[in-house]
Amino acid sequence: MIYNEISKVIDNKEIAENIFEAHLSSDNLSKIAKPGQFINILPSSNFDKTMRRPMSLSYQDSNSFKIIYKPIGDGTRIMQSWKEGDSADIIGPLGNAWEVSKNKEAILLGGGVGIAPILNLYNNIKSNHISHLFFGARKKEEHFIDHNPDKNIYISTDDGSAGIKGNLFEAMKSIFDINDFKDKSIYVCGPPMMMEAVRKFSVEHDIECHLALETIMACGIGICQGCTVEKCSSESSTDTYRNKYELVCMDGPIYKANEVKTCLL
Amino acid sequence: MLALKIKDITFKNPIMVASGTYGYGNEVSDFVDLSKFGAIITKSVTRNPREGNPPPRIFEVSSGMLNSIGLANLGVEKYIEEKIPYLNKIDTNIIINIAGTRIDDYVETLDMLESANSKHIGYEINISCPNVKEGGMQFGVSPDMTKELTQELRKRTDKILIMKLSPNVTSIEEIGLASQDGGADAVSAINTVMGMSVDIKTKKPRLSTIMGGLSGSCIKPVALANIHKLFKTLDIPIIGIGGISNCDDVIEFMLTGARFVELGTINYKYPNLVETLVDQLQSYLEEQSIDHIKNIVGDLMIENK
Repeated sequence: MIYNEISKVIDNKEIAENIFEAHLSSDNLSKIAKPGQFINILPSSNFDKTMRRPMSLSYQDSNSFKIIYKPIGDGTRIMQSWKEGDSADIIGPLGNAWEVSKNKEAILLGGGVGIAPILNLYNNIKSNHISHLFFGARKKEEHFIDHNPDKNIYISTDDGSAGIKGNLFEAMKSIFDINDFKDKSIYVCGPPMMMEAVRKFSVEHDIECHLALETIMACGIGICQGCTVEKCSSESSTDTYRNKYELVCMDGPIYKANEVKTCLL
Repeated sequence: MLALKIKDITFKNPIMVASGTYGYGNEVSDFVDLSKFGAIITKSVTRNPREGNPPPRIFEVSSGMLNSIGLANLGVEKYIEEKIPYLNKIDTNIIINIAGTRIDDYVETLDMLESANSKHIGYEINISCPNVKEGGMQFGVSPDMTKELTQELRKRTDKILIMKLSPNVTSIEEIGLASQDGGADAVSAINTVMGMSVDIKTKKPRLSTIMGGLSGSCIKPVALANIHKLFKTLDIPIIGIGGISNCDDVIEFMLTGARFVELGTINYKYPNLVETLVDQLQSYLEEQSIDHIKNIVGDLMIENK
């Protein structure tokens, strides 16, 4: 079921340097959404851009949800100005969801605002699943989670100003040896270059790895056919449909590392 | 007040949704009442399935978007098997958009749809896709080929036959006339305008195919100019397409000569817009004391100087 509903802003605040979290009400979609799914947002009723803005849920309960964003484009800059009580037109929940391997420990990697669907998954599974959460950013000020290795929570910074120095991929490899991955699966979302490094590493070492891909979308519901990813398909024919190119909005956004050719969309 | 006809088929209102911007109707059925629509024109279907073009396929530009999907679709056999049963249940007119490379592609696709258990009332023939070499554009730029294709299809169906025209031609009037002479019941115009965008950091074109089709409100004046030209030339109805995003736009298109309109790119942003515009159009007629929507078609005031 997909809903088109008007959400009210409950709260909207800067949770780290230039990183915002908006908490919105929801009549229906937050109840049925699964971690990994996303929504397509019209940030204001007079939004003059052509496309809605797709965003992953970072939190959800029976009547509200949260998103995490960085105000860098036209849509996110409007979101930044949201005040309590403002409305946003939302379509969702959209796409597939994280598929969690029950018998394996989870390594969760979230880079920048790509932490959103990772946090939603983490909060969903942490009580009954051994989970290792990694959150990467460029510097200390961009973090909103404390480095706490005793609780399997690690943060990394490119400049070493907090947590582990290096990117997420390097942080993960500093904690786990290549042999540690046999009983673990990786869940990752973040900058495409980082995701691509994790994808290649996982494929090379036959590690179970789930990726949340991000790309430009116009409709978010499988109509425009614009948001494609190339699959690692055995047959490579043009005389097929959604065999070589799948739609990230409905076939994804979650893919296994060995299913797609690249994260650089 | 809003009902209009093409041949003997009645449309509840003049507002349709354009091919490729509304899928096959089922995608939005959870939250849109499709029975309010004048018609749904389904995504282009071809004789065989098509993967479409490599990514990236879309890019947002000022007041619009570029696309180069490449007619990705499941092919007519699967269309009949998987999409028609749902389309048959929708209480509005269904028009099937067909694309092809050769006349035989169009003919075979149409023949299969004619013999399918389907309640569609007509066809829109895509002779104007700018995004694939074999997307019918060779028909859409040639009056002779347009006429020949229209005639071939006309022989095979009594259903409504609409030729969808490209603005990327020297004379849209000639292509429109060729469609009319070939036996088309209507023309729809315009398909997307050839466009391009470049990422100045990477120096790469934004689309994998370099150029693509521009749509959205930025093409509205181009659409209106083409509709004006067609209206002066043709006797058959014109279905106006190109950047319509509100009720004023619908009226502007109709004054220029469009008897019907198709909403396109705006559907991505507002999947529920048709219903709103139908209500607003009704209110407009009441406020202006206009008996019927057909009275505004082509009612353009041009002063003779």
